[in-house]
Amino acid sequence: MAPRFKVKVLQTSKILKNAAIISIVLLSFFLVFFSKSDYLLINSIKSISSNTITPITKVISSPLNFISNLANEFNQFKNLKFENKLLQEEIIRLKKWQTLAIQNTRENRVLKRLLNATDNNLKLVKTASLVNRNDTFFSKLININAGYESNIKQNMSAINERGLIGKVIQTSPSKSRVLLLTDPNLSISIKTVSNGLFSIVTGVGDNKHLISKFIKDDQIPKVGDIVVTSGTAQIFPVDLLVGKISKIENDRFYVLPFVDFNNIDYVQIVTSK
Amino acid sequence: MSPGLFNHSIIFNLILIVTFSVSVNSFSQLPNLNILFYIIFHLTFIYYLFYHYHYLHFFLGFIYGVLFDIFLLNTIGTHLICFVALISIYIFMKKYLFLLSAYQISITIFITLNTIIFTEMLLAFLLDNIYFTINYLLRFFIISIIIFVPSIFILNKLDK
Repeated sequence: MAPRFKVKVLQTSKILKNAAIISIVLLSFFLVFFSKSDYLLINSIKSISSNTITPITKVISSPLNFISNLANEFNQFKNLKFENKLLQEEIIRLKKWQTLAIQNTRENRVLKRLLNATDNNLKLVKTASLVNRNDTFFSKLININAGYESNIKQNMSAINERGLIGKVIQTSPSKSRVLLLTDPNLSISIKTVSNGLFSIVTGVGDNKHLISKFIKDDQIPKVGDIVVTSGTAQIFPVDLLVGKISKIENDRFYVLPFVDFNNIDYVQIVTSK
Repeated sequence: MSPGLFNHSIIFNLILIVTFSVSVNSFSQLPNLNILFYIIFHLTFIYYLFYHYHYLHFFLGFIYGVLFDIFLLNTIGTHLICFVALISIYIFMKKYLFLLSAYQISITIFITLNTIIFTEMLLAFLLDNIYFTINYLLRFFIISIIIFVPSIFILNKLDK
């Protein structure tokens, strides 16, 4: 009786194994299929896994994060003398500008009152801090500690004191994912401040520059021109600072963003009023 | 489950968890670190699959595939397809792999490692329009060459 019993157990376990393997293969197929069609299911899977796994990965990688921060502080300390000299020069320059700016602000306020114009088109939704970065070789993403409970929605813009950072692509109750400007999959419509030339730029992938994908009327702007969002695609609010044109090559231009993507601590989520 | 199997399962799973955690986080001052850990994850996964295949590898491949896709790409597809395909191909090729020597198995692991990484990049391009420059491909290839022998040596030592 014993050998027959053993054979039966083996067969059952083999059937179970095969059933498990087939169900995983089928589940994988459905997940891949639904990731392109059913956003509700996939978004809930994404938010659950992000919320549960992110803290674990953060704790495990904390020693390396500590080393990275230490290296950052050492670099900053090394450049302290040089930076101090630069800052002193900048303070003198900015003091001159400050006097001019106070005069202009006063003038601006009076003129706005005369024209009955509104102040600006931006509405601040939430200021959030960085949870962790996923700007890897596949995509340039950051996670922030505010989600749809703080009224953050997809496609809202993320900015900091220097300018545009990116746009919100996914929200969960208390966290959101922001796709950075430097990601090759994010295109933004911009215009130059000096002469209003419209174009579309996208990330190069080097984590530093943006490159033009389309230039309206093929008019190439000048190196040094400041570019802002044009607001024509109705994703980003108009007139958010993006960067400066740094290089022109073969009918295309490169933009150096104002934001230092390696040093983002806080972001503001904004939308058009 | 025998005690030996239990021990190496814990070791390999710990390596997988640590390398996964580091490869999905980025460090501004250590730019190539997540590439390095991404390659070590793949290498460990392939080694673990080749030397200690168990049908539970399908669960591992499924979970890590989904998590890599969510964390690195924000869409499910590329890694999941690659991991499930890798394990399926391994099951079909298992009987031929048993005939190979230790040296030949190592070469097979190296080829599989680079093939799976390049397939992931190709699928990321085809499914999600993520572009990769030749610079990236070369960086992956060079890092995999540098770390392959020490990693296999350490994995062998851990595996006894």
